[in-house]
Formats: sequence, structure tokens, C-alpha cells
Amino acid sequence: MISLPVAHALASRQDLPIPAWLFAWAASIVLIASFFALSAAWRKPQFEDERERPFGERLSATLTSLPVQALCGAIGVFLLGVAIYAGLRGTEAPDRNFALTFLFVTCWLGFPFFSAIFGDIFRPFNPWRAVGRAAGGAFRAIAGERAAHLDYPEWLGRWPAAIGLLATVWLEVVYGASGGVAVGLAPHAAAVAALFYSGYTLAMMAVFGTEEWCERGEIFSVYFGMFGRLGIFGSRDGRLYRRRPFSAVTSWATIPGSAALVIASIASTSFDGAQEGAFKAGIENTFEWLIERGVEPTASLRLTDTIFMALTFAGVALVYTLGVRGMRTVPGAPSFKKLRTGFAHTLVPIALAYLVAHYFSLFFFQEQAQFTYILSDPLGTGHTDLFGTANNIVDYKILTANMIWYVQVAALVVGHVIGLMLAHDRALVYWPDYKKATASQYWMLAVMVAFTCFGLYLLSVANG
Amino acid sequence: MLPVAHVGHYLWVLYLLPVAIVVAGIVKTTRAQRREGEED
Repeated sequence: MISLPVAHALASRQDLPIPAWLFAWAASIVLIASFFALSAAWRKPQFEDERERPFGERLSATLTSLPVQALCGAIGVFLLGVAIYAGLRGTEAPDRNFALTFLFVTCWLGFPFFSAIFGDIFRPFNPWRAVGRAAGGAFRAIAGERAAHLDYPEWLGRWPAAIGLLATVWLEVVYGASGGVAVGLAPHAAAVAALFYSGYTLAMMAVFGTEEWCERGEIFSVYFGMFGRLGIFGSRDGRLYRRRPFSAVTSWATIPGSAALVIASIASTSFDGAQEGAFKAGIENTFEWLIERGVEPTASLRLTDTIFMALTFAGVALVYTLGVRGMRTVPGAPSFKKLRTGFAHTLVPIALAYLVAHYFSLFFFQEQAQFTYILSDPLGTGHTDLFGTANNIVDYKILTANMIWYVQVAALVVGHVIGLMLAHDRALVYWPDYKKATASQYWMLAVMVAFTCFGLYLLSVANG
Repeated sequence: MLPVAHVGHYLWVLYLLPVAIVVAGIVKTTRAQRREGEED
């Protein structure tokens, strides 16, 4: 049996002073108040300019020097290698194996959380980028010229990353769960998937070039990089700089497929939160319906989950599309396509808010395991104790159910207020008349209120 | 007796209401603004 905490791990049931649904009303009032405050006081775009403040030349040169880059890359390659080895050779108990916690908790959740504060911190540690760059350097040294690459098709944009993101989540929560595993895959399957993905990524880098593929097609670079645009540090032409928070995200969605990527992020988190709660009855009914028609149980469960995951994606995309359609009714509106692309970045803080709300307790608890008994015994065989912490246990009482709920509510409200702020800022670019800009944002307000209430509903059902 | 055993199944309505109120407010405001624009 698996003893990993579920996505909304709780120490006990909540004991809230008011019903959970009243928090949705309160959050909606906060959003409406924020909307009117923005309309009254924010009349010129503030985030279009990143207002970069470069680091000192020496510090910048040191941090971006080849030895430091090589060291970071080597750390990334080493940790990926340990995870794959642990998955292949370690215990099949996911809560004891380094592979699962490292890949699906430490990296999958840790990089978005910390990138949103500090900028794209995955880039220097990206193991595939490190290998791709080393291979490119070796080729140059031997052949005396740069390797030739195909031009990356402009229309393809970030679509490979968006589809890959859905595939990764599908692998964890649909394919993995169908095998009777509470959280994600069996470690062996995770290691095989990592090996397969490594082969695929390195092949794509060979075809299109390392940096080009990392910028557009490599799932983790694109996904973590998206959250990194919210952070305060960036780099350009080998120079590090500090920038205004959230400003870099305004230029993120110009590449095709970006809207799909951020929608996929919100949808996959929503589905993961809803499958054990809000969607449970629907999933059970569909599953039984398929069983009655003679479909094999595992295939039925996977098919049912896949259908609900696709429906969640379609639902999130529909709500966003309705918001954009609403903006089109305001005189002077740009084309639908331009609006759809132009406002996609406003969903990035919402995607982060959903991640924090749904997984922060899992991250908090499971990282205790990661930095104690898993690190001491990465294979989980019970035969090693590298740091003398192999017998430590996770302290689930460190977070109470109420504490988790308040963090979830705060994350959703703050994320959506930032989304509103970014949307208002972008509207002032398209409609310099602030009255029209405000009118255009009525529908985005509805989108934000809808996502907030939906998120709180999912959490309240999952926590209940 | 009141049939409240399954009332929990309809709690989602309470989460939908704020969205419905905001949408209704937006529709009303948009119509009023459009009417004002036509009169001008």
C-alpha cells in the first residue's frame, strides 16, 4: 500500500468559523473591489517595460561563467541519473523511492514555486540542455563548425510542450492511478518514462538545436520557464538583471501554443483535484457504464479519466474564450486572435495559484521525507543510511487542516488579483481610453471570479 | 421531515451564485452602456 499523502493532504478535518462556500463569496467580493480599484487608480500600462536593473558586471560574469554553468548542468545530470537508477533498481514502494518524490514533487512542484519568485531557475540545472550543449561543443571541437539544424516551424510554437504537459500529467494521474497507485506511477515506470523522454528530447535538440528546443518544445523548460517569467531575476546576452515582478510575463504568450500551455496547466491541476472529489460521481458512473459494455476495468478507468481530463481542458479553454469574446464587444477591440494571445499571460498567476492551492501541503509534507529518510536511503531498500536520517518520519501535525485551507484561499485570491491586474494593464495597451479598457475587463472579471469559485469548490469537496 | 439528506450534493450552487451575479451585472451594465452610446 502507498502511504504518500494525497494531493490535499490533511492532518485532520477542517473546523472553519464560517462555511467553506462563504469564502468563495468573500473572494469574489475581493476581486470585484480590486477590479474597481484598478479602474479608478491604474490608468497607464505599468508592466510592459521590465525596468531591468543589471547585476554588477563581476557578479554576472561569475554566475554565468562556463565553469558555473557546467557545474549546475552536471548537478542536474547527476540527479536525473540518480532518479532513473533509483526507479529502475530501488523499491517499488513509491513513498520510499527517491525517483517518484524527486521527479513528481521536488522538481514538478518545486521549480514552479521557486521560479515564480526568483525567475527561471530550472534553465541552468536542465540536464537535457546540459547534455545537448556539451554534445554541441564536442561536435564543434571535432568538426570545426557548428552542427546544422532544421529551422523550427513558427506555427508549431509551444504546442509540443503543451501536449507534452498534458501527457506528463496523464501519465502520472491517469496511467499511474489506474494501476491502483494513489499518487502517480510506480517508480520503475517513472524511470522508464524519464529514459524515454531523455531520448526524445536529445533527438529533438539534435534536429532543431538545444536552445531552440528548450525555448519552445522541451516540456519542463517551457513549463517552468512560464512561471519563471513572474519572478524577479532574468538574464539576457549573458548578463543577469533584476526586474519588476510579473513584468516579464507580459511578453511570454507571443509564441503560438502558449495559451494552450497555460490552459493545460490549470486544467490538469483542476482535474487532479477534482477526480477524487467534484468529479468522483461522474467518473464512477462513466466507469460503470463502460464496464457494463464489456470494456476491461483498467482500460475503462483510464478511458474515463482521459475523457474527464479532456473535458476539464475544454471547460477551462471555454471560460477563457468567453472572456475574450466578451472583450470583442467593446468598440476599438483588436481581432479575436490578438486578444486571445494578448491576454493568455494573465492566466499564468492563476495556474500558479492553482498549483499552490492544490499541492502546497503535499510539497510541504513530502519534502520532509525527501530531505530525511529518502535522501539517506534513495533506493528505499532499508540497507543504507547515508546521512543518519533513514528512520525519520514525516510530521503531519506541522500543518493543521485550517492552516492549509487558509493558504489555499489566500493563494487563489492573490493569484486572481494579480491576473486581474495584468489583464487591466494589457487592456490599457489595446484601449488607451481607460473607460473602454475598464469596460473590456468586465468579462475578464467574470473569468477570474469563475476560476476562483471553481478552484475553491474543488478544494472544499476534496478537503471535505 | 425535510429531504435534506442529499443537500450536500447541491452545494456547488452556492459557488456558482457569485459568478452568476457578476455575469448578470456585466450583461446589465453592457446593455445600459450600449443604449447610452446609441442615444448619443
